[in-house]
Amino acid sequence: MKKLMKTLAVFSAVGSLLVTGCGGSGASSNANGGNGKEVTLTFLHWRGEDVPTFKKIISEFHKKYPNINVQMQVLPSNQYIAQAQANLTGNHGADIFTSFPGSEFSAINKAGLYEDLSSQPFLSNFNSDLIKSGQKDGKQFAIPYQVVFNMPVYNKDLFKKLNIEPPTDWNGFLKACQTLKDHGYTPIVFAGKVSAGQFYNDIVMNNVTDPNVFTGLLTGKSKLTDPDFLKSFEQMGELAQKGYFQTGALGTSQDAATAIFAEGKAGMLALGSYQITPVNKDNNNGFKMGLLAPITTASATDAKYQGVDTTTFMLGVNAKSPHKKEAEEFLQFLSQPDIAAQYANETSQMVTVKDVKYTVPALQEMEPLLKKPLRFQPMYTLTNQQVVDDVTNVVEDVISGKDPKVAAKKGQDAINQALSLK
Amino acid sequence: MRTKKSIYLFLVPGGLLFLIFFVVPTLYGLSLSFTNWDGLSSKVPFAGFSNYTHLFTDDTMFHGAVGNTLKFVVMVVILQSFFSLLFAIFLLRNTKTNIFLRTLYFFPTILASVSVAFIWTFIYDPNIGILNTLLKDFGLSSLQHSWLGDPHIAIYCLGIVEIWAHTGQLLIIYLAGLQQIPVELYEVAKIEGATRWQTFRKVTWPLLTPATTMVVAYTTIQSFRAFDLVYAMTDGGPNNSTEILATYIYHQAFQYNHVGYASAVSMVFMIVIAIITMLQFGILRLQSGSREKKSSKKKARSTSANPTANPKDLEYVSGGGTA
Repeated sequence: MKKLMKTLAVFSAVGSLLVTGCGGSGASSNANGGNGKEVTLTFLHWRGEDVPTFKKIISEFHKKYPNINVQMQVLPSNQYIAQAQANLTGNHGADIFTSFPGSEFSAINKAGLYEDLSSQPFLSNFNSDLIKSGQKDGKQFAIPYQVVFNMPVYNKDLFKKLNIEPPTDWNGFLKACQTLKDHGYTPIVFAGKVSAGQFYNDIVMNNVTDPNVFTGLLTGKSKLTDPDFLKSFEQMGELAQKGYFQTGALGTSQDAATAIFAEGKAGMLALGSYQITPVNKDNNNGFKMGLLAPITTASATDAKYQGVDTTTFMLGVNAKSPHKKEAEEFLQFLSQPDIAAQYANETSQMVTVKDVKYTVPALQEMEPLLKKPLRFQPMYTLTNQQVVDDVTNVVEDVISGKDPKVAAKKGQDAINQALSLK
Repeated sequence: MRTKKSIYLFLVPGGLLFLIFFVVPTLYGLSLSFTNWDGLSSKVPFAGFSNYTHLFTDDTMFHGAVGNTLKFVVMVVILQSFFSLLFAIFLLRNTKTNIFLRTLYFFPTILASVSVAFIWTFIYDPNIGILNTLLKDFGLSSLQHSWLGDPHIAIYCLGIVEIWAHTGQLLIIYLAGLQQIPVELYEVAKIEGATRWQTFRKVTWPLLTPATTMVVAYTTIQSFRAFDLVYAMTDGGPNNSTEILATYIYHQAFQYNHVGYASAVSMVFMIVIAIITMLQFGILRLQSGSREKKSSKKKARSTSANPTANPKDLEYVSGGGTA
C-alpha cells in the first residue's frame, strides 16, 4: 500500500511539473496579477478561427501579467455544448468559458456555474444594451463579447442593377422578391439546417413585438396558434408558395447556400452578418453586400424593429475556479477598447465593447446598424431548447407546404409535451 | 487447482475492462434514469418511474424516433447484407480486377463518418449536388429531388449512405466465409447437374450461416448506433424525420438538458438492441439446427437405402459442413 502511495505521489509530482511546463514561460519575479502567484488559466471556447488572434492577445496579456498564463481549449462549435458541459461539471473545469445565450446560458446559470460579475468595474467598458443576454435577476453572470446581425445578407449590386430599393414593408418585400424572380434570380437562398429558425426571427420581430408574449411560449401563456404567431407562419408559407426560396430549400447546406449566393445568382442569403466574410472569400469580393431584414408590417411606420441582433460568445468565469481573480483580470483585459478592436478587426466580428475603432470595411459598414432599433434574437429568449426546436419544426413544415394552421397546431402540441417533462 | 486459478487470472484484465467500461456505466445510467438530473447541477432530484411512464405514454417524439430507427435498421440490414453477399460472390476469384474492386469497395469503410457525411451532403444537395446534376444531364430532371430536405425520404437517403459506407466491410466477412467452402462440393454439384441457383441454395447459403449470423448481428448493432452519420448530415431534421434513437438520446441529454430522461431512453434502447440481437441469433441458430437435423436424417436414409449421391441431397454435405 505504501509503495502504491509513493508511486502515486511521484506520478502526481511529475504530472504537476508537466502541467506547469506546458503553461508557458515559467515563474516571474514581476508577478502583478491576481495574488501574484504563478497561475495557468484555461479558456474554453468554440472559435477555432479566432485562435491566432487570441494567441496574440494572450501573449500581450502575459506581458502585462507575467504570472498569469492562459491556455486555450478549443472545441468544435457543433460539439461545444455537450463537451463544455462535461468539462464544467468536472472538478477541473475551465476557469474562463464561453457559452451561447438562451437555453445554454440558462442551464449553466441554473446549475450555479457562473461567478457573479455584477460588481466588476470593467462592465462599464461594454455597451450596456448589448450585454443584457448575460444577465439574470439583475445580475451579470456572463458577458457577451460578439454581436452578429441575424438578417439576410443582400446583393447590393444586383438590387441596384434591377432598380430595387431595400423594401420597408411587406408588400415592398414581396415585390422585390418578384422582381428578382422575374429576372431569373433566386430571391432568397435558404440553408435548411440553419435558416429555418434564423429567418423566422426576422419574420416574427414585428409580428410579436412584446418579448414577454414570445417567451410566453415557455409558460403556456402564448400559443403558436395565436394570431400573431400564425401570421408569421403564413408569411413564411407565402414566400415558399410563391417560389421565392431556391429549390430544395430544406435540403440545402449552409456551405451550398453560401456558394449559390456567392455566384451572384440570388438576391438574398437568409443567414446573417457572419456570412459576409465567407461570401467575399468565395467570390473574391465580387459584389457589395448589405443587411436587410424583411419588414412584415403593412406600412413602414408600423414596424417597431429594423432588424435582429444576437450578442453571443458569452464570457463567464467558472464559479468553481480556484483562480477567479486572475480570470477576471483576463476579462478586464479583453474589455479594453484597443484589445477589443484588435480582436474585432482581425476576426471580422463586431464586439459589444464601447469606443472600438473598426478598420475593416465590412465592419465599418455594419457599425451604423447598432444605432438602429434592433431586436435581440427572439429564438434566443426561449430558454428551453426543445421549444426552440418545436418552433423551428413548424417553420420547416410550412416551407414543405403544410397548411400554417395545421403546422402551428402540431407545433403547439409538441410544445405542450415538452413543457410537461420537468 | 493451481492451473485453474491461473486460468482465472487471465480473465481478470478482460473482466476489469468489461466492469469499468460496461457494467459500471450501465448501472450508473440505470440509476440516472430514475432522476431528473439536468447534467449540470449538483442536485440530482429523484423522479421514480416518471421518466419511463412519460417515455411510453406521452412522448410522441420518442415514438417517432423508434419508427425512424426501425425504418433505417430494416433497410440497412436487408440491403447491406444482400449487397455485401452479392459483391462477395462476384469478387470471389483472386483476379487482379477483383482484388482492385474489393479494395475500392472497402475504401469507404476507412473514411471517417464525418467525411462520409460531408461527401454525401454535397452529393445530395438539391442545387449544386452531383446526384441532381447527373439526373439532369441524363434527361431525368423529373427525378430531381431535395433528397435530405424531404421528410418523407430523408431517412432512406441516410440509409443509402450507411449501406455505401459499410458494404465493403461486410463483403470481407462474406468473402472469408465463401473461401472456406470446399471446392469439391461445387464440383460434386456440377457433376450432379445442379443449376447455379440450386448450388447457391443448397451449398453456398447453408455454409454461409456463420458469416450471415455475424453480418446480420453486426449490421443491426451498427445501424442502431448510426449516430455520427445522422448527426452530421441532418441532425434529426427536417422536422424530426431522421431523428433516430441515438440522436434523440443526444438531443435530450445535451441540448435539452434532460440527462435523467435520456438515460431512461438509453436503457430502453439497450434492451431493444439486446432483444433484437438475441432474436436474430436464435433464429439463425434454429435454422442452422433444423438444417443439421434434416441432413443427419438424410444421411441416415441415404447410407441405408441408396449409397449413390443425389443432386437434391446436396444439403447433406452442406449441413454437415455447417455443423
